[in-house]
Amino acid sequence: MTEEEDFGLDDLLEGFTPTPPTQDPAPPTNLPVPAPPSEAEFMGESGAVTGKARMEAAYGTGDGEGQGVAMVAQSAKVEAGTIFHQVYRPWRGNLNPRWVRNWSIFRHHVYGLFSKGHRPWPMTTKLFIAIVLFGSLIPILTMAMSVLTGLSGLMEFYGVSRANLWGHVLGVFHNTCCWPLLTALVVGGLISEDRQHGTSAIYFSRPVTRTDYTLMKYLSASAILSMIIVFSYCAYYVAAIIFNNEGWAYLLDTLPFFLGGLVAAVMLVVTFTSIGLALSSLSSGRFFPAVAFLGIIFGSRILAFLIKLLFERDTLYLISPYDNLAHVGQWMMGLNTTYDFPPAWSLVSLLLMNGVSLYILISRVNSLEVTRE
Amino acid sequence: MSGEWIVETHDLTKKYGEHVALDSVNLNIRPGATGLLGPNGAGKSTLLKTILGLIALTSGSGKVLDHDIATEGPKIRQRIGYMPEYDCLIPDMEAIHQVRYAGELLGMNSNSATQRAHEVLEYVGLRDQRYRAVSTFSTGMEQATKLACSLIHDPDLLICDEPTNGLDATARGFMLDTLFQVVKQGGRSIIMSSHLMDDVERICDRMLMIHKGQVIAQGRIQDLKAIDREIEISVWGGANRIEEKLKDMGQSVRRTGRVMRITRIDETTYRTIIKAAAETNVQIRKMEDYEPSLEDLFIVIMDRLGYSVKSSKDLLAGPTPTMDQAALQGRKVA
Repeated sequence: MTEEEDFGLDDLLEGFTPTPPTQDPAPPTNLPVPAPPSEAEFMGESGAVTGKARMEAAYGTGDGEGQGVAMVAQSAKVEAGTIFHQVYRPWRGNLNPRWVRNWSIFRHHVYGLFSKGHRPWPMTTKLFIAIVLFGSLIPILTMAMSVLTGLSGLMEFYGVSRANLWGHVLGVFHNTCCWPLLTALVVGGLISEDRQHGTSAIYFSRPVTRTDYTLMKYLSASAILSMIIVFSYCAYYVAAIIFNNEGWAYLLDTLPFFLGGLVAAVMLVVTFTSIGLALSSLSSGRFFPAVAFLGIIFGSRILAFLIKLLFERDTLYLISPYDNLAHVGQWMMGLNTTYDFPPAWSLVSLLLMNGVSLYILISRVNSLEVTRE
Repeated sequence: MSGEWIVETHDLTKKYGEHVALDSVNLNIRPGATGLLGPNGAGKSTLLKTILGLIALTSGSGKVLDHDIATEGPKIRQRIGYMPEYDCLIPDMEAIHQVRYAGELLGMNSNSATQRAHEVLEYVGLRDQRYRAVSTFSTGMEQATKLACSLIHDPDLLICDEPTNGLDATARGFMLDTLFQVVKQGGRSIIMSSHLMDDVERICDRMLMIHKGQVIAQGRIQDLKAIDREIEISVWGGANRIEEKLKDMGQSVRRTGRVMRITRIDETTYRTIIKAAAETNVQIRKMEDYEPSLEDLFIVIMDRLGYSVKSSKDLLAGPTPTMDQAALQGRKVA
């Protein structure tokens, strides 16, 4: 062909005759057939077992490090070196309703204190809870000792009375060394750690609403605090009845202020949980909420105390959650109040504190993201 | 699922104050694997949250797995497995308990969740590591645990947000193979958001590209690739001459050295090329239809939107002022 001649694709294809595809030669029949793998590796799927761990093959942590291909992913062909069959198995169960999901959140937090597999509470927190619980049960042990030894002085000192019941929940010692520290340790990381670790995505990408999430976190925290504060309070009262072999008359005499103390204990748990969770929702770590909570409880008390010393006015105790609780508790248990202003002011102050805390908590939980941008 | 689509939206709009995150988005996603592409700030996260039924829409409507986006969020999330891009695991929990808890949060009872957790951890290659605390895991193992959490209830739709983020080549290959099997073997659907075109191309047969809150391309990757089909030739002895000649003959030519890509208009383009070679006395040593990659497709789409990008990295890294200006003149490709 010369350059002047017309040139086309047909010219290129001219003379090209397609050849039929050749068939692969038949495999020789006398070759030994490899024995099928004898050991089932995964749920009845047979495969060669090399003894290598799956992670070694999948993530190159062992002998397979130099290999460019993850051998674990080869599902269809069983060859030497295949570790396991990756078979997708459907699940045909039913998903339970809302309350089961909520129960799982509650259980995750509360059971974590006692057993593995749930929320991993720090050992220091568990230890502190055990010590506080033991400490709050000391009056019971003392009463038991009094009954066993016949030392009536012990019973008079540790026995049930208005002041002792009030002191068990709202006494200065418990509210300096026990309950605030307990709350700081328990509540500090409940929401902040979800923010820190991105765990909120696990909750909110599932059919858990923010209301459920907040409510169950709140209930979990208050349940743990109640387990110590309310339980030990009730146990103290019941133990006094049992040890002294008291009858109906004692019950009628003491039940009103016992119930007053019980309500005060619940109010303490609720208020501390509200403030603690609100602080936890503001942060991404457990340290700040814990320290801030202690700062609010102790700082407000100290500030109000100093103002009282300097100006002989105790109205500033209204900013102290503890003093508001103590004041309302005194009023409910029929004790003489130690504050100059009416208990209703303290009650209103407590309601305001709880309201503000819950508002912060709800708005901050609403800002928790499923996707980070 | 009775409908033809797993995700279906009509004029979906979401505004955050003045900012329009999603602008009249009309989506029709079929069952199977769909890649979600778009620069940072394009609206991918908002779209994923919308699909999960987590945000209140400004206007429009949509259905996911036949459930209404606006009113049936919890029902949608019961049937979706979501694998977040970032860390979402409780560090000190063992993998088995982490996955079990993820199942319990969906409403599985504890025994079923435990049994299923063993199965899915086996499936993602973590059987021997399931009793290790997540904090001791490598990035690949954490990603696998997140995948196990999202697969525990055998979801109809799996949403994976950058599933290969931070993985080395081996772990990445394993993750992609696993996702591929979820689709092919398990018959489940996946929406995969990724910045890596290769990953999307390996898993997905469909793609969805959004930019500035608008869908700029959606459909089968193969169909979208046919937007601009090219013929690749390798020439010898006069590359400049044949390039000029082809341009004179009205062809669109892209050239790198002796390799040229000519836009294929129809069957006559082959003849035109050969004719140009004959007339310019240039040897054509190789001529074949060029199979464009998803990267090429991305560049073509962005080119049509007025961007001048050399690779997806230019744009996916984040919008620039120049790009913003170009986006103002943007138009829909498909």
